[in-house]
Amino acid sequence: MFAAALAAVSVVGLAGCAPADSDGDFVVYVGRSETLIQPLIDQYIAESGIEVQVRYAGSAELAAQILEEGENSPADVFFAQDAGALGAVSKAGFLRELDADLLNLVDPEYRAADGTWMGASGRVRVFNYDTDKVTQAELPNSVLDLAGPEWRGRVGIAPTNSSFQAFVTALAKVEGEEVASQWLAAMKENGVIYEKNSTILEAVESGQVDAGLINHYYWYAKGNEVGFENLNSEIAAFDSQDVGNLRNVAGVGIVSEDPRAKDFVEFLLSETAQQYFVNETSEYPLIDGVEPPAGLTPLDEIPAPEFDLNDLEALEETLQLIRAAGLI
Amino acid sequence: MQKPPVLTVVLGVFAALLAIVPLGYLVLRLAEGIEAASAELARPRTFELLSNTVLLVVSVSLTALVVGVVQAWFVVRTNLRYPGFYAVVATVPLAIPSYVLALGYVSIFPWFSGFWASWLVLTMATAPYVFLAVSAALLRVDIAAEEVGRSLGLSRLQVFLKITWPQVRTSATAAVLLVSLYVLSEFGAIALLRFDTFTRAIYNAYRSSFDRTAAASLALVLVALTLVIVLLERRYRGDYLMQRPANPRRLKQDLGKLQTPVTLLLALFGLLGAGLPMAALLNWTMIGSSSTDLAKLVSATLSSFGIALLAAILVSIFALAVSIWVVLHKNKLGSFIEGLLWSNHALPAIVVGLALVFFGANVTPWIYQSIWLLMIAYLILFLPNGLAAMSTPLAQVPKGLTEVSQSLGQSYRKSLTKVILPIASPGLIAAAALVMLTVLKELPATLLLRPTGAETLATRLWSATEELAYAQAAPFALVLVIIAGLPALALNASVRKTYAEVNEE
Amino acid sequence: MSLLALTGITKNFGEGNVLKGISLEVQEDELVAILGSSGAGKSTLLRLIAGFEKPDQGEIVFDGNVVAGESFLPAEKRKIGIVPQDGALFPHLNVYDNIGFGIAKDPNKDSRIQQLLKLIELEGLEKRKPQELSGGQLQRVALARALAPKPKLVLLDEPFGALDAELRDRLRNDVRRIIHAEGVSAILVTHDQEEALSLADRVAVLREGRIIQVGTPTEIYNSPADIGIATFLGESVLIDGKVTDGKVTTDLGKLTALNQVVEGQSGVVAIRSENFYLQPNPAGDSEVVGRVFFGHDAVVEVQTPSLKIKARSNGPFAPEVGMKVTVWVRGAVNFYPTK
Repeated sequence: MFAAALAAVSVVGLAGCAPADSDGDFVVYVGRSETLIQPLIDQYIAESGIEVQVRYAGSAELAAQILEEGENSPADVFFAQDAGALGAVSKAGFLRELDADLLNLVDPEYRAADGTWMGASGRVRVFNYDTDKVTQAELPNSVLDLAGPEWRGRVGIAPTNSSFQAFVTALAKVEGEEVASQWLAAMKENGVIYEKNSTILEAVESGQVDAGLINHYYWYAKGNEVGFENLNSEIAAFDSQDVGNLRNVAGVGIVSEDPRAKDFVEFLLSETAQQYFVNETSEYPLIDGVEPPAGLTPLDEIPAPEFDLNDLEALEETLQLIRAAGLI
Repeated sequence: MQKPPVLTVVLGVFAALLAIVPLGYLVLRLAEGIEAASAELARPRTFELLSNTVLLVVSVSLTALVVGVVQAWFVVRTNLRYPGFYAVVATVPLAIPSYVLALGYVSIFPWFSGFWASWLVLTMATAPYVFLAVSAALLRVDIAAEEVGRSLGLSRLQVFLKITWPQVRTSATAAVLLVSLYVLSEFGAIALLRFDTFTRAIYNAYRSSFDRTAAASLALVLVALTLVIVLLERRYRGDYLMQRPANPRRLKQDLGKLQTPVTLLLALFGLLGAGLPMAALLNWTMIGSSSTDLAKLVSATLSSFGIALLAAILVSIFALAVSIWVVLHKNKLGSFIEGLLWSNHALPAIVVGLALVFFGANVTPWIYQSIWLLMIAYLILFLPNGLAAMSTPLAQVPKGLTEVSQSLGQSYRKSLTKVILPIASPGLIAAAALVMLTVLKELPATLLLRPTGAETLATRLWSATEELAYAQAAPFALVLVIIAGLPALALNASVRKTYAEVNEE
Repeated sequence: MSLLALTGITKNFGEGNVLKGISLEVQEDELVAILGSSGAGKSTLLRLIAGFEKPDQGEIVFDGNVVAGESFLPAEKRKIGIVPQDGALFPHLNVYDNIGFGIAKDPNKDSRIQQLLKLIELEGLEKRKPQELSGGQLQRVALARALAPKPKLVLLDEPFGALDAELRDRLRNDVRRIIHAEGVSAILVTHDQEEALSLADRVAVLREGRIIQVGTPTEIYNSPADIGIATFLGESVLIDGKVTDGKVTTDLGKLTALNQVVEGQSGVVAIRSENFYLQPNPAGDSEVVGRVFFGHDAVVEVQTPSLKIKARSNGPFAPEVGMKVTVWVRGAVNFYPTK
């Protein structure tokens, strides 16, 4: 029986799930989709020879996890889907300040004021809709219009997803908590709840729901996959300066003192990685010298209101708003 | 009676200590944040979850009861053609984890979600429990008593209601309570079908709330609901009146013209419970076969096997120790520990997972995110299964054999290892295998506690499903059913017994 | 007019087993035993009478109405009580509710149940569950349950089969007493000839789907219709014989036949073992070779010059093994000519 146990442990070991202790392994918490990110990480492993253990989960979940784990956290790097999750971890003091040479790679608008995290790629919120079910005339001018009774049961949202949560934070900051609460309460009726952006897009594409709030690149990724002419849905922006057009970043912060962490962050901001985001995920690059995906409105021309991404750190308050509305 | 061997006591006490960790930690944690917890419980959302959960539990229990009783009745008590085949059809959903069943449906009908979807999937997944219990009971109903009823002037329907049903009711009630426990703790299918019950809400609260008191309070409500059902189950369990008649007469009602419609009905149940979703998964597997990442599939299968094997070994060691203690050396402490371990059998896996995440991160960081924390979860969750499966073969070893062995000059411990364990070993090995297969299918605790980088079939399946990548998820689902589900079905003692009895003409 | 009349009943009951034209009448207040070995079709016959099965051919008239034949009355409409083999009490009901099951709507239910409890001598056990009763008690409750709605006919299907010998004797007497007290007719199905003979007013012998002989127990015992019945009902020794001078000549001497014989016919005589008389005789040509002592009597095995016979002998005076004896046959015997 002891031999069998040894065999079992060794099989487990082979399968790559030996205990991840904080000294040995290099552990990255990734709050983004494994399908999108794992190829990039494989590329990093191949180039650097550094073995990377990746834990995939929602950004908010991982943020909460790092807070729970505190000093014991096995994570070395936190790669989040949005600035809010990073801000929350930074606020709790679990992110280390990044070196200036790294920080200066991106525009100050897309990094933490205190230098604890920085954007790795840019994205915008868009309105995704089924062209058969939502007419041009019906297109909402503002994300706030979606609270109207005509949208009852028609709008896909992902309240557990950090991109949505970041948008709600922005909504509360720009329009006030009162407006945000009312909007969320209306979405309890109007919204159809999904787990994440990609699920909403699939739901709109397959006709289960008329429209949805997602990040822009999911639609482009789908278009690239099946051909844009085969898509059943379109994306649209809200009116200029509407908070529904929020610009945000997927970003990265360093949790531990492991020297490999900086190397990894550098890689994410290298031309290789930035080009990967452009080509493979249709995201906006954040460093100079890499062109945004063809056909996309340049990031700084998106008609979004001016908004400081550092304010997204109020994730905890936002979650309380969302929970108060009964969406989680 | 001999004192229990020291090792069994040590292992038993250790297991008991582990068993109280999850609930104990949750309660402690809540006590710290009692205000936040009560605020959480007072939210309208909590009532919404409560009513959704209760609605689902009650409706699934009722329909599973109807489906299971109908299947059992036609298979056991009528001249249905090929009853053995339909007995297999009625039990085969047991081989399919309910989240795989749900995945099968969602992959055909993308709109398949919400209450009705969860209701259908869980009804199909749980009806086999009712079928097994009720067909066993029906096989034990004395047909002569039914005939006496008719001779006393009762119509066939009255005979069923006043004579047959009362004899089947105890088993049926117990099965229904089992079904409601299942629904209450079900996570994967419900999350996939996006119906908000406690388990999904606990998972979501865990994933998107910095104050994890919320998840913990919801978990405690779920535990309270579970407790209610367990208490009900205790009340209705036991008190089985009947022995199988020594010489049962197989009087079967002639279906006559109903033969074909009944066959179609039973086939429809089979189609809904296994055929349709499995066909969908097979189809997706073939569609996606060109892009299937075989390396991923193989490594997930290997790591699933490795993890499950390790878990089965650990669970078996503890289960054997406790079984030896309570079967061969019953004393007060042993019974108490057995009861304590048993009380965890109804604990929803998501609650155990959640509690251990908190516990691991804060109290035992040295095993946090390691395979060992996951093993502790499996130990807590599946030790009751192991105990149930291991105490039977031990109890079946004739008592006198140890004494004979001792009279022939062997010490007690020698007798244990040279006589009792070898005799019981086929049963013990089957029990260990069953535990391993159960672990292979486990989802929620694995999801929360797996070490970074460890991907099992279940978690791969889960993440592919979350991405709606059905072609990617399907091969994992199929492999899971083939390597875990079907063997577990084949090893299941009550399934085998039912097949044998239905086929004995 | 008889209470029950079966005419020309045939019924296929699987695997070549057939009831072949059964005709039988049961009178009011009569206890008829249907005696046959297993597979003879007794239970099927009973189920036909009860209404659980339909005959293929033939007619059953019960209480003046055709219940099977041109029209069919199902079991629940026939008002015929049944007592199955092992009682088949409803396991979920206590004694009181079991007995009262068929008279749920009767306003006098309670007094009727009390009356029956008294009759079956189980007063005070109303609250017992079936699993708390002994085998004999179970059967008596089952009988009371069948009798409660005052049926005109009760069917007893091997009711004593599962009981031990002593209990069986006691219960037999009880059943006879109870049935007569209730003034009800009964059909008892059994494979036990002693049971049939001791209980029934009339016995019908069923063999291979046919009723071979119907008569009072005395008739059946003393004048079995054929060798088969003769050997089935009690122990008989069969000896070849030939009719000469109006008597049957056998190895045991010239015997008087009970039935009509034809001069010169060969055949077999059946002699009941209790009809042998063993006279101790040191010069006798027969020798006792075996002896099984029962107290009240003994079975003694005797080797005659040509035969080995089993004789039943008065217990205390049974000869010992090794004694020489002369074998006599008492009274007349049944002669069955070879066909």
